[in-house]
Amino acid sequence: MDAQQIGKGKFVVPIGPQHPALKEPGHFEFTVDGEIVTGASVRLGYVHRGIEKGAENRNYTQAMYLMERVCGICSHVHATAFALGTEKLAGITAPPRAQAIRSLVGELERIHSHLLWLGVAAHEGGFDTLFMYSWRDREVVMDLLEGLTGNRVNYSVNVIGGVKVDVDDAQRDAILKGVDFLEERTHHYIKIITTDETLLGRTVGVGVMTKEQAIELGAIGPTGRASGLERDVRVDAPYAGYKDFPVRLVTDEAGDLQARFVVRMKELLESYRLIREILDHLPTGDLTVRAPRRIPAGETVSRVEAPRGELFYYIKSNGTDMPERVKIRTPSLCNWASVINLAPGYKLADMPMILSGIDPCFSCNDRLIKVNDRSVSQVWTWEDLRQHGIEYYR
Amino acid sequence: MSIGAMIGDILRSLFKKPATQRYPYERYPTPDRLRGKLFYDPTKCTGCQLCIKDCPSDAIELIVLDKVNKRFVMRYNIDRCTYCAQCVQNCRFDCLSMSNEQYEMAALQRQPFEVFYGRDEDVQFLLERATREDPEAQPCQPPA
Repeated sequence: MDAQQIGKGKFVVPIGPQHPALKEPGHFEFTVDGEIVTGASVRLGYVHRGIEKGAENRNYTQAMYLMERVCGICSHVHATAFALGTEKLAGITAPPRAQAIRSLVGELERIHSHLLWLGVAAHEGGFDTLFMYSWRDREVVMDLLEGLTGNRVNYSVNVIGGVKVDVDDAQRDAILKGVDFLEERTHHYIKIITTDETLLGRTVGVGVMTKEQAIELGAIGPTGRASGLERDVRVDAPYAGYKDFPVRLVTDEAGDLQARFVVRMKELLESYRLIREILDHLPTGDLTVRAPRRIPAGETVSRVEAPRGELFYYIKSNGTDMPERVKIRTPSLCNWASVINLAPGYKLADMPMILSGIDPCFSCNDRLIKVNDRSVSQVWTWEDLRQHGIEYYR
Repeated sequence: MSIGAMIGDILRSLFKKPATQRYPYERYPTPDRLRGKLFYDPTKCTGCQLCIKDCPSDAIELIVLDKVNKRFVMRYNIDRCTYCAQCVQNCRFDCLSMSNEQYEMAALQRQPFEVFYGRDEDVQFLLERATREDPEAQPCQPPA
């Protein structure tokens, strides 16, 4: 969608790429009629880092650590998706204990991501008290992750063929204690987001998306589930430990911003239940299996459920110890269509809330840059394109 | 429906200690597994270089002075390290470990970011050789 064409003869409010309300760079143009938004466009690509290209000259283990840095919030799911894909290509399966620990860390990460989102969304709505308290409580889960894995953000739990960290009794007790506290707080937050009048005024009936629209716009993750879309990779195609520890799907029918709050908070409760179940029935055995350095030639896809929705990896191997191609599609990218299609009809002041409602992660989804040269039109083969890519990054 | 649903939290917090920590003055006890500065023990090393092969950020380098007599010096670039602990995982002889106490490594010069691990005489030998070959270089600069 071209911003210039939409904005012709109308009043356009540009937001970003540098804007105090946005934590990451993204450019939005809203055409307005008074206070009401009549059109919206988004332009991405400001934080393109060439990660996919970078993976092509690293070996599989090094590439996994690079993938972990695609996203600062959901780093573990990226490494899990890459490790699962590589293991599939290599024809090995990580032991059950390793798979369960992958799911355990994945759920702890989901808790920290959803609590972070609750704070950010409340902050965009002007409810800074909720922002402060939810982030204070988020420290509990951050400390658990630090104690379990050794770092607050990039956990580095995975290796190709298993995991590095084990859960001992002390860790188990600490996690259970933390989860009990967080569950109590989550019930409190659910009460606040469903009863506080100031927040309800900002969320109820704002950014409504029906189930049909959600399917049409390709919405995924909690954004889609808040519109009644029953889609969750953990349920549809269980990976890692989710085969042994099934997840109950959380959906809501309302489709507005409040439903997105409720769905994410209820997913937290589901995560607490799952963590307790994993810790109670943690399989015994090894943490790793031996993985070959050279991965047999082939291609595969790997799907996992990130806190924001389905994360998709495509890995192609040519038989060496480096991947030939890695393609990543992060969930934020799928949800942009819902933002720009839902925005018309609502007030300009609602835009930050609708934007943050999908839990956008800008750096994650910048997979390409548009090299804009309108004067020349040419058709490139894959080889030409590849050569251009190599020259571009040199 | 209610107005000010969080007023109770605020009033209770008035009588509690702050949730934040006065960090440089009061230190939070670090967990045992915290991944901090890397340490290398040359006595057990066989020079297999598996740690270097998988390092995602090219932070470690093994300088082999004499493979038969096991004289190794490891150059560790702290500023490049991502603290992923893959080298510790790869080492089969427990030569590498990560400290959970040394994690504040910020510095104003580049010099402290370059650390040499090995027997004292080996490190001394290496540094002297570097100065001999390039008298202009800083004393800690290793051979190219």
